[in-house]
Amino acid sequence: MKIIEFVEIERAFKRGVNVLDGVSFDVEQGEVVGLLGCNGAGKTTLISIAMGMLQQQRGEVRLFGLDPIENPLEVKRRVGYVSEDQILPDFLRVREVLHLHRHLFPTWDDDLTADLVTRFDIDLKAKIKTLSKGQARQVALLCAVAHRPEVLLLDEPAGGLDPAVRREFLETAIQLLNESGSTILFSSHHMSDVERMARRVVMLHEGNVLLDNELDDLREQFSLALIPDDGQLDSDALRALPGCLAVRQRNGNLHAILRHGPEDGRALLTGKLGVSVVRCESIPLEEMFIELVGGQA
Amino acid sequence: MLIVVDPHSGVPVYRQLIDQVKFHISSGLLKPGAELPSTRALSTELGLNPMTISKAYNFLEKDGVVERRPGRPLVVAESNQNGMHDMKLERLRESLALSVTMTRQLEIDRERALELFKEMLNDTDDNGGSQ
Repeated sequence: MKIIEFVEIERAFKRGVNVLDGVSFDVEQGEVVGLLGCNGAGKTTLISIAMGMLQQQRGEVRLFGLDPIENPLEVKRRVGYVSEDQILPDFLRVREVLHLHRHLFPTWDDDLTADLVTRFDIDLKAKIKTLSKGQARQVALLCAVAHRPEVLLLDEPAGGLDPAVRREFLETAIQLLNESGSTILFSSHHMSDVERMARRVVMLHEGNVLLDNELDDLREQFSLALIPDDGQLDSDALRALPGCLAVRQRNGNLHAILRHGPEDGRALLTGKLGVSVVRCESIPLEEMFIELVGGQA
Repeated sequence: MLIVVDPHSGVPVYRQLIDQVKFHISSGLLKPGAELPSTRALSTELGLNPMTISKAYNFLEKDGVVERRPGRPLVVAESNQNGMHDMKLERLRESLALSVTMTRQLEIDRERALELFKEMLNDTDDNGGSQ
């Protein structure tokens, strides 16, 4: 069942410059999707649109089949949301923030709350403004998950947090997955978090979906080929090769990302272009990201 | 169970899990009948999406390496000698893959490479069969 649907979403903040320029993808129930892209690629915009906090100028967004702007209450009750620059009312105490949320959400789980308060070592009497960045984010996460939402929308949830707190975050999300089978869409620049959590990756670039694949497929059906840039091979010929997604020149080599596994990629390059390939191998997500959107730098 | 995954690697995480379970079986650390941790327990312990663990477990089950019994933990299958032999060969194949690539890249003659492999095997035999 489709839980989140983005259909041809367009959104500009300056006339004529679409940050999102026709973004479409679905998230199925129970799926964990990592949303990747450079700064300014539109990840926050897209997640805000899913939350109904921002309206798209074209296209449709649906959560549980509902428009989040037309059905704000129903959608928000079923969703948990954490963002990097989330603001909690800083004059309240933690206990008061939790009370507030408890009354907003009929499905609030007191046992889970108590469990997380202990695990995160949260001081219920503390005022929000006295909390460290990491503690404040943990309170935000607690508020986002304690009603056991069907969907978790996380916008760079671990941004600026230390590795120990990030790991707590990850484990809390995994607990929710295990116990409630929640659907998760999260953006992150921490590739290793994405690699641990996500089964599928959607990469936004220049307003569009550049890549939408299972993470395992990115390892097994994609590869990076290194070819000596000695003037024998025209980089345009390389770009024209079927399944070639990106070509960059780096340190006397041509780098090509291929939509083929290492073996097939090597065979294709040798067979079609007759070049000697230095290396053709599977690569981690971070390298893939840099090769695809890193430009010539 | 001693499993260490490197999510930041070219090898998919579910593959790493499969390989390590198989390694523990072929090395005798996991004996036939031994119970594997539940999907939930292992996903929490390793900080991984539970679906990744079930994907690995499903492959292991399909390969006949582990057995699923309704309502009980997965267990290591009673060893069938053929399967174990395949598993060991598979491990050798993996470690030889690098040597094969090196042989190609350094443009070393095939016959010479095979000779070297035989020589090295014989050398270790003379030294008592193990390092």
